[in-house]
Amino acid sequence: MTRYTHLFTPLRLGPLTVANRVVFSAHLTNYAQDGMPTEQHAAYYAARAAGGAGLIITEEHSTHLTDWPYEKLIHGFDPRVIPGYQRITEAVHAQGVPILAQLNHNGGQASSMFSRLPVWAPSPIPDPLFREVPKALEPHEIRSVVDGYAQVAEHCMAGGFDGVELQCSHSSIVRGFLSPATNHRTDLYGGILRNRARLLLEIVAAVRAVLGSDKVLGVRLCGDELIEGGTTIAEAVAVAQLCDATGQVDYINTSIGVATATLYMIEASMQVPPGYAMFIPSAIREAVSIPVVGVGRFKDPVQADRALQAGQADLIGVVRGQIADPDFVRKARAGAASDIRTCLSCNQECVGRMGLNRWLGCIENPRTGREAIALPLPTKRKQRVLVVGGGPAGLQAAVTAAERGHRVTLFEKSERLGGQVPVAASVPSRAEFLDITRNLVASAQRTGVDVKTSYEVSADFLLGEVPDVVVVATGAVPQRPPWASDLARVVDIRDVLEGRAVPQGKVLVVDELGFHQGTSVSELLADRGCSVEVVTPGMVVGQDLGITLDLETWNVKAEAKGITQTTDVVPMGAAADGDRVTVSLQHHPTGTDVTRTVDWVVCAVQQRADDALFHALDGAPFPVHRIGDCVAPRRAHAAVIEGHRVAVAL
Amino acid sequence: MLLTSPVKIAGRTAPSRVLFGPHETNLGRGRALSDRHTAYYAARARGGAGIVVTETASVHASDWPYERAPLASECGPGWAAVVEACGEALVLASLGHAGGQGSSAYSQCSLWAPSAVADAVSRELPQVMGPREVAAVVQGFAASARLAVESGCAGVEVEAGAGSLLRQFLSGISNQRADAYGEDKVLLLRDVLTAVRSAVGEAVLSLRLSCDELAPWAGVTPEHAAAIAADVADVVDLLVVVRAGPYAGSAYRPDAHVEEGFNAELCKGIRGAVAGRVPVVLQGSVVTGAFAERALSDGVCDLVEMTRAQIAEPALVAHLRAGTAPRPCVLCNQACRVRDARNPLVSCVGEPRSGYETVEPPVFVEVPPGQGTAELPRSPAGREVLVVGGGPAGLECARVLALSGRPVELREATGELGGAVNDASLGAGRARLRQLTDWLADECARLGVVVKLDAPVTPAELTAWHGDVVLATGSRPRQVASLPALVEAPHSGDGGTSASAYPVPVLDSREALRGPLPEGPVLVHDPVGGPVGVSVAEQLAAAGHDVRIVTGDPIVGTLLSLTGDLADCNTRLQRAGVIRELKALLRKASDGRALLEDVWTGQLREVPCAVVVDCGHRLPREELYETGTPRAGDCVAPRTILEAILEGRRRALELSGVPGLVHA
Repeated sequence: MTRYTHLFTPLRLGPLTVANRVVFSAHLTNYAQDGMPTEQHAAYYAARAAGGAGLIITEEHSTHLTDWPYEKLIHGFDPRVIPGYQRITEAVHAQGVPILAQLNHNGGQASSMFSRLPVWAPSPIPDPLFREVPKALEPHEIRSVVDGYAQVAEHCMAGGFDGVELQCSHSSIVRGFLSPATNHRTDLYGGILRNRARLLLEIVAAVRAVLGSDKVLGVRLCGDELIEGGTTIAEAVAVAQLCDATGQVDYINTSIGVATATLYMIEASMQVPPGYAMFIPSAIREAVSIPVVGVGRFKDPVQADRALQAGQADLIGVVRGQIADPDFVRKARAGAASDIRTCLSCNQECVGRMGLNRWLGCIENPRTGREAIALPLPTKRKQRVLVVGGGPAGLQAAVTAAERGHRVTLFEKSERLGGQVPVAASVPSRAEFLDITRNLVASAQRTGVDVKTSYEVSADFLLGEVPDVVVVATGAVPQRPPWASDLARVVDIRDVLEGRAVPQGKVLVVDELGFHQGTSVSELLADRGCSVEVVTPGMVVGQDLGITLDLETWNVKAEAKGITQTTDVVPMGAAADGDRVTVSLQHHPTGTDVTRTVDWVVCAVQQRADDALFHALDGAPFPVHRIGDCVAPRRAHAAVIEGHRVAVAL
Repeated sequence: MLLTSPVKIAGRTAPSRVLFGPHETNLGRGRALSDRHTAYYAARARGGAGIVVTETASVHASDWPYERAPLASECGPGWAAVVEACGEALVLASLGHAGGQGSSAYSQCSLWAPSAVADAVSRELPQVMGPREVAAVVQGFAASARLAVESGCAGVEVEAGAGSLLRQFLSGISNQRADAYGEDKVLLLRDVLTAVRSAVGEAVLSLRLSCDELAPWAGVTPEHAAAIAADVADVVDLLVVVRAGPYAGSAYRPDAHVEEGFNAELCKGIRGAVAGRVPVVLQGSVVTGAFAERALSDGVCDLVEMTRAQIAEPALVAHLRAGTAPRPCVLCNQACRVRDARNPLVSCVGEPRSGYETVEPPVFVEVPPGQGTAELPRSPAGREVLVVGGGPAGLECARVLALSGRPVELREATGELGGAVNDASLGAGRARLRQLTDWLADECARLGVVVKLDAPVTPAELTAWHGDVVLATGSRPRQVASLPALVEAPHSGDGGTSASAYPVPVLDSREALRGPLPEGPVLVHDPVGGPVGVSVAEQLAAAGHDVRIVTGDPIVGTLLSLTGDLADCNTRLQRAGVIRELKALLRKASDGRALLEDVWTGQLREVPCAVVVDCGHRLPREELYETGTPRAGDCVAPRTILEAILEGRRRALELSGVPGLVHA
């Protein structure tokens, strides 16, 4: 008995019936090797199928050898993919869940780095990311593109897929043709919409001819490219209608943005409100007779159910939500939605790793990307495990150890769990980051970890407890940078976020970390009325925000909040100037010295590992492991991975 | 020639004094060496390299600095295959540990380093190594060295250069330890060399040592390095002198902005310090036989590392022996520097088969060079070929056709060969590019290509031509009217400015480099972020102009991360007084001012502007094209020299009946 009115209603997609409305829609994983799908693909999709997803759509399969924009793309055009396809479809079908393959040619949104062939596009207009002038397709090359889709559709049929989806949305040659921004052709494939949609319709016809009538064909369209002169919603609706009118398309999927120009809106981080793209399926759904999929930061099943109820879409794509928790649907159906390991939309280990050509992971789920590697079996003898420190590392170690049957006690010296996470999440725009420890704390309770807060332990205490194993996860502490001397008005970001310092007036934020720390505190202080300048020795303030797609929103907010940004400067010293502080900075490219006199200086600098307890346990008669920031202060994913790894190895 | 004569190292004979140094290739499979590595190294050994040092392998699983970084324990079969394929050349296995300069992204484990000092580039804090970790590294070096020698390698090279834990221990910047390894910063190096020597016995032990970290306030200076070198001289058989430090990422193998053989003084000093106890190798942008030979005869060094020269020309030494001209390395770093998250494969703009030895078909190589003996059978004298266009694509096409025995006529519309390279080489720091097209032109002349200058081809001539045709007609500038930023100004509030009403002159980069420019402030418009915009801005600033460069990116020269010039070019521009207009779109220019719009916030700002120099993408020149005519390079789509040469060669091989790409 669930409280969902729509989520678990079956739906027909052409010849196929899906059991529920949650789609694990297409996204890159970088799990391919030498252009071939791998065991990891099969295990990854199978885990989401086992977790109850209604429909799975794989990552894109390249339809042509001219299309190879990134190293680990699946070469669908190579018939050797078929055995890998069969492994994937068998693994997913074993869970009773249908699976479609996404077909694509990235067109001009590519370079020749891997293919060593000219990039193909409607017109010689370079993509804003890849910046390579493409070759404008000649008519025989257009035919070759269409044939490529049909050929890969054949491979997919041989591989056991239930159908295919054409990616025509955010990184695609079809998008390139559809969009007036990238299609400047004067032949039958350019100009009026009907012409720009000609390639799409030819592909639909060619692929449908391969699929026959008992397989699904979907089309994914971009509802707003968010670029000058690009496709907007009215044309997207018209294209959806053209697809519908063919009678050959079973559903429309949607997206927003262009992967290589406005990616930050496709895979929006927590800076963008949930449901931000639902105007697209809403508009399309009113104009077509076939089901429409809506996407965009769906984090919990209730939110998805409401969107269905409101008629915004017929199906909801939940990607990151199921990356973080493969059992998203199963838990919702069982009435245990609060057990779902909620996605943070932090983008650190999913989107962030993708952009760097690494395999897809998750900051919260250490098994994501590792599904094909079996965990060691739990040992017969259950151990008494003492974990010191209740940040993400300690919590993850405790939860995993408890899940594997060990008796676990966790000691946290402060009154609240979470370590630095609640501090980081105390900045309004970062609030969702708190879910990482909320999820872990809930799991600790569920798995029976004995959690003791406000409980500081010493080495002697631990020695006296005679445990089987101790896991030290004591975190990190701020340290003053050498140039700051002992000035009271030079403080650490944690002093500000934890309330020990309340800077006012003119504030200089010194950012040596290049991530959310410096920009978050700058925003917070600007919101409180401070006049903020953030300086960095790097070439860009918040450089790593680019990886999580937060750089655009940070810059827009910084401008709105009057925060100024200065790059390429290194702090050389600080001196008291009455109540104020004068900081000397060196502009290192030119060697010029500049000074700033401000009311407060806030440092976002490297912390120091709090490893005193670990070293005090040197020579203990039981194994002592350390994990997370007390090894080396890093980001949260390292804490979670190490916590999980140490517990699995017990 | 000293350079091409054999030399004894630890009782073994290297067939020449030319070393092919270790470098990232991304040719690996998993963490092992691949058959592509074998073919890559074998080509250099066949070409006469005296010593081949394989890609640095991590000595311990804690080190996984880039995805395709070899791991020594998985390299045994690969090393054996390389040794087998390299014949007389001495094969040394480079062994290293990147320490705090590594990456945790692949191992998902903390980095190891002497102290808790974050790497300047990654900003990642490492774990401070305890005695256990130190011992593991020493043992890792020894075990890896043993495996390398057991696999047949002539010896090993220990990496204490650019990205290495051993350098981090030597340096006061990264080593702030209070224990014995901090008191004596050379201790770990000495421990490692002792353990490796014991593991390899009489085999060659080479050391690659950073002798200048370019951070004299706390880093290794040439004086420190001289003492370190003297300290270890008796345990090593070869010493490669390099410079590299935590704040000087590009200094190790910079592009052509740094002169050839920049380490000569440093190397000479170190050679003096070791006083003949160990042969010394000069490293650092040595790309010509003449420079290398002079360095040997002037007592700068005993051997010369010429890595990039042999990426560009695998048969470098054979050419030097034969007195023929090797294909030059132009120090562009555009295709051979592959430490990049995307995992590009090592290659060369001038020799695109480098790194692709098992994939791209071989060209008709003369062995020995200049003697006309072909590695592949020449095609029977076929029909004459008309190559239209004398840029790199046309020249390479004509060269390869001529090598295959085809009669070739090359027609160039202008008065000189070289095409777009002639213009590009006018930009600051890019003069060397022209050596490549000059070499191609000389080869064409030598091989009997009939070259006609000032000889444009008309469509009628093309139709009437009796033989085969290849078009390599290059690119043309986009029209001012197609500069999208200048046509539409949706946020400027005045409805935009049409091209016809546009009063500020717009020159393309080539016109600007050839000058003269109108008086007044210059706005270099660089929507690409490659080498062109930067070099134009620098060149114009050097000529005394007041220059701004506008880019939509947060930094100038984004694409130069691949060549290693990204940080350097921003520094040079700022030192030259060029104002960087970042995160900006050029919306309009009139009345001596340009209107810029912030790409993210839409904020508008005005800057002085008397002339716009557009360094944007160009368009293909397609006038002579008819469907199906073979064509190559920029006339297909304007890109770089690499694509021009690759496609010029492919068209030639296709006409010669050589099968195309081997699809892996």
